[in-house]
Amino acid sequence: MSKGKLAIIGIGEVPTRTMPERTRWDILYEVCMQAVKDSGLHKNDIEGTVIVSPQAQERLTGELSFGKLPEELGLKGVRDSVVINAGGASTSNCLRMAEQWIESGIARAVLIPHVTVHSTIPLPDVVNFFARAGVDLQWEYPYGSTYNIIMGMMANRFMRDHGCTEEEMASVVTALRSWASRDPNSIFYGKEVPSVEKVMASDLLNTPLHKRESNITADGGCAMVVVSAEDAKKMKRPAAYKLGESVRYFSGSPVMRDFDKVAEGFKVTAKEAMAQAGIKKEEVSIWNCYLAYPLGHPIMAEALEVAPKGQAGKYFLQGRMSFGGDIPWSTIGDAPGRGHTGSGVSAATYVETARQLMGKAGERQVKNCTYVYQNTAGGSGFNNIASIWGRE
Amino acid sequence: MNFDMTKPLPEVQPWSARFWEGTRQGKLLIQTCKACNAIIFYPRKACPECWSDKLDWIEASGKGTVYTFSTAYSMVEPRFMDELPYTIAYVDLDEGIRMMTRIIGCDPKEIKIGMKVEVTFFQREDFHLPYFKPAKG
Ligand SMILES: [Zn+2]
Repeated sequence: MSKGKLAIIGIGEVPTRTMPERTRWDILYEVCMQAVKDSGLHKNDIEGTVIVSPQAQERLTGELSFGKLPEELGLKGVRDSVVINAGGASTSNCLRMAEQWIESGIARAVLIPHVTVHSTIPLPDVVNFFARAGVDLQWEYPYGSTYNIIMGMMANRFMRDHGCTEEEMASVVTALRSWASRDPNSIFYGKEVPSVEKVMASDLLNTPLHKRESNITADGGCAMVVVSAEDAKKMKRPAAYKLGESVRYFSGSPVMRDFDKVAEGFKVTAKEAMAQAGIKKEEVSIWNCYLAYPLGHPIMAEALEVAPKGQAGKYFLQGRMSFGGDIPWSTIGDAPGRGHTGSGVSAATYVETARQLMGKAGERQVKNCTYVYQNTAGGSGFNNIASIWGRE
Repeated sequence: MNFDMTKPLPEVQPWSARFWEGTRQGKLLIQTCKACNAIIFYPRKACPECWSDKLDWIEASGKGTVYTFSTAYSMVEPRFMDELPYTIAYVDLDEGIRMMTRIIGCDPKEIKIGMKVEVTFFQREDFHLPYFKPAKG
């Protein structure tokens, strides 16, 4: 059935928090050692490191690009080390690089870490980084656009075309936070889940986006160890197997992004990835969507045909995507539930996909989790990479 | 906290200079391709459809329709805070291209998707940014 060639056999993660005392290297040590131990391998079995580019952390990017990680951790078997940057789609590309190394015989086991420490970057630099990232400096930035505003524009159009109400939009936050409140690695772990009324009562940042529909920057990190599917089977340990993948490029600048082309891209990538995996939509146990803002979720739910046109908002409002609902959706709560760790949110989503398939998700464990749909998108949304992961 | 409060100016490329010159004369110019008749936005060095360098310009009517918009009330960069609230929009020009812009000249609450708008120019230093206001009549 499966043509899968890659498997995640080890995961490591630190809780997403605002903790400036936890340095970047402190987190890297922690997540890498956890992931290698979890894989059952010895540190010197790691033959390659493929690192998610640490956005907005220039010095660390330099250190990692110059090969510091294997040396620091004493990984004596490493043959090659790279840093990969495709914005939020970086993690997917790290996995693809690892897959290629494994297939070509360069490495049998590859370590893929990510770290973000936003809290020690001076606030003006963080603000400036996010204001300019992915935004065209000639045709967009001078007008005062921000990510929030771009998301607001998408949401306003979606709400009008798909008959989605403000209340329904707000319920996406409630759904995401219901998962996050049960995830020890989330910044909102154990915190009260805001009601729809509370979301709508929070300050209006830009129409139709309320403060609680945005997300907060945070510190965090995670890592994965991957091997070939064949090796994973031999190791007889819990693993997540990659079964299918598909990708579409949309545009670099938000102004050039055709909304219909994006929705169509979400749809075709899902279909192609499922066809490659040899599964049907009905067999997907979890829709693990990484969209950074809650406003993207109803768009995705309709594009994936999880909800019929005009119904996604209602599905969220009815609690169907919430913890305990009948459609497990973004089980770490995406960026609004996790805290925004830049490309780290997509890395954390992959770790969650693996965790669920390995049966290690604790309170959030989805029963009989067999197949997970997982996407990532780069930058401000220049592409969509859909993948299907399974238990074997 | 030291924030850079300088208002950003468009980072002009050699092939887009004509666009910004046009705005100084009150004209909204759109790049076109003489080889394949493409209407191009934003301006490029080569036609994005056929890679021809036989590029030209037409003057847009300045009329358009709001495709979508969002009015900002807070959480923008400090350099733009003095302009709050402001509305950013995608406007579809009658000539068939979509631009990011600001909508001015009305209460932000009156702005609607599908609203007819027309160009007006807003000066920032030596630049005249195309903004849009509700169309007359
Ligand atoms: Zn052409």
